[in-house]
Amino acid sequence: MKLSAHYNKASIIITISVLFIGAIIYFFTINYIAKNQLDLNLIEEIDGIKNYIKVNNKLPQQVDFDEDLVTFVKTDKQQLKQHFFDTVYNNPKEKKKEAGRAISCMVLDNGNNYLTTLIVSREDTEYLVQIIGLITLALSVGLLLTLFITNRYILNGLWKPFYKTLAELKSFNISDDKTLSLKGTKVDEFNELNDTVQSMSLKAKNDFQTLKEFTENASHEMQTPLAVITSKLDTLIQDETLKAEQYEQINDIYASTNKLARLNQSLLLLVKIENNLIDDIELLRLDSLIEEKVKQFQELITDKQIKVETHLSTKEISASKYLLDILLNNLFSNAIRHNTPNGKLIIVLDSDKLIFKNNGLSHALNVGQMFDRFKKGNRSEGTGLGLALVKNICALNNWKICYYYEIPFHVFQLDF
Amino acid sequence: MKLLIIEDEQALRENITTYFTEDGNICESCANLSGAIDKLSNYNYDCVLLDIGLPDGEGFEVLDFLKKTLKDEAVLIISARNSLDDKIKGLNIGADDYLTKPFHLAELKARVASVYRRKAANSNNIIVFNEITLNLLGRTVEVNNIPIILTRKEYDMLLYFIANKSKVISKNAIAEHLWGDEMDMHNNFDFIYTHIKNLRKKLLDAGGCDYIHSIYGIGYKFKA
Repeated sequence: MKLSAHYNKASIIITISVLFIGAIIYFFTINYIAKNQLDLNLIEEIDGIKNYIKVNNKLPQQVDFDEDLVTFVKTDKQQLKQHFFDTVYNNPKEKKKEAGRAISCMVLDNGNNYLTTLIVSREDTEYLVQIIGLITLALSVGLLLTLFITNRYILNGLWKPFYKTLAELKSFNISDDKTLSLKGTKVDEFNELNDTVQSMSLKAKNDFQTLKEFTENASHEMQTPLAVITSKLDTLIQDETLKAEQYEQINDIYASTNKLARLNQSLLLLVKIENNLIDDIELLRLDSLIEEKVKQFQELITDKQIKVETHLSTKEISASKYLLDILLNNLFSNAIRHNTPNGKLIIVLDSDKLIFKNNGLSHALNVGQMFDRFKKGNRSEGTGLGLALVKNICALNNWKICYYYEIPFHVFQLDF
Repeated sequence: MKLLIIEDEQALRENITTYFTEDGNICESCANLSGAIDKLSNYNYDCVLLDIGLPDGEGFEVLDFLKKTLKDEAVLIISARNSLDDKIKGLNIGADDYLTKPFHLAELKARVASVYRRKAANSNNIIVFNEITLNLLGRTVEVNNIPIILTRKEYDMLLYFIANKSKVISKNAIAEHLWGDEMDMHNNFDFIYTHIKNLRKKLLDAGGCDYIHSIYGIGYKFKA
């Protein structure tokens, strides 16, 4: 939900509750005041009646009282406390039932006690309360509408700089050369936000640059000694007086150096992928790339007498050619390396997935750590970074990679 | 061929010098940028091997210098940086090739031979080695003027051997040259043998000499 909607919701709920509670208090207060007023009038009138009786020594006539209704009932009771109550009575003038307010008390006339009840109409006060209620309701609706519109338009306008900053941040790419261009606004908070974001982005860019330099330096520092070892060995083997055993030793050094060089390259590549340093994205035909790879690995495939089956449908994909190459290299390499002699390698490419199936060990592999760095099978001679690279390349492209065992095949499935 | 090797790592510089000099090339070397500029302003070379990370500056400045002074030495960058940006930058400002460390000396030699051939004014795209003639444009091979048909790998191998004639080349280096260093060969180089055997047989069948000798356990040598 948007901020303005949240604010709207909160403010409208609060306003409605306040208005509602206010209306209840308001209603009761007005009612109370109106009743008091009626009661005062009734006391005045009853005093008038009492005076009349005192002066004239007889009960007043009914007609003297306008719309009010007064009744005298002879009673034997000696004492009755004067009290007020609500009642319904027949309005003598309008000839209909109406809500009324009554006072009851005892009057004495010629030694007789009379229970006197004086009823006045409550219609007028109720009408007043209704009018006031209506006006209040109209005001409330008006207030709510105004609030809603104000919130919606003014608030959106106020937050515009924020959304601009947000849009800028969304398009921010740390490996880009261009910096954020956040304009000043009239709101101090947003200016502060922009300044902070700006300085943070600059710092991130600087850190990123430092990291890139570190990566390059690390690469340089390790590659040069490796180059020295390789060139020394290349020079050493020119001496043909060396014995076969010595050549064997040299061969082993070659192999280790080669492995070290590949390890170094893979580590640097991992860092580069994690920092999104490789962004030569282009549209590629995955099916033809796989066909090329099959040719490229032909020697290894023939060497192990592996039977390759491909079911490739046309698939175009946006990715870095370099990374896709590494991804396929690793998948092929694993599927061949861990295959059994005379085994099968089945490659299926659909519009939404790529599957590598190969024979191998007769039990499922441990899925948990398979894609972690330097986690490799006991019998693996690889660097231990191959599947970590695969996973990172997939993550970079928002693909999903998973492994499962489907007797007798080990299956790597990549969902685009 | 007259070479200038600009490389700050002494051991590497010496090895390259030795490897190239044995073949009758004239090699000079220097360890820093100022020395390189000094040598290049006084002498002409056929080919320059250039390290990018030098103690007193970036090797790119050598390329700028060559461009400014209108010299047309072939330049091969040997860099520890396997960064696409550097590669593109280097090739854009006049380098002819880019080789990432670590590399095999045989690979370096083959690359130098290739850029030198491309740059040489009298280039006719034909390499003649005794009775063997290679036509680089058509990628065809003749032995005693009889065309022989080689596969792509065999042709590349022959070219590689001729560039490194009289050198012992490790199987490792051959595999990397033919299949690229990104492909993990699992240290299994048996299948190189198949290609070598076929190439050797084709050359012999066409009446060529037996140049390719196996050096037990380590690799092969193309005996001149």
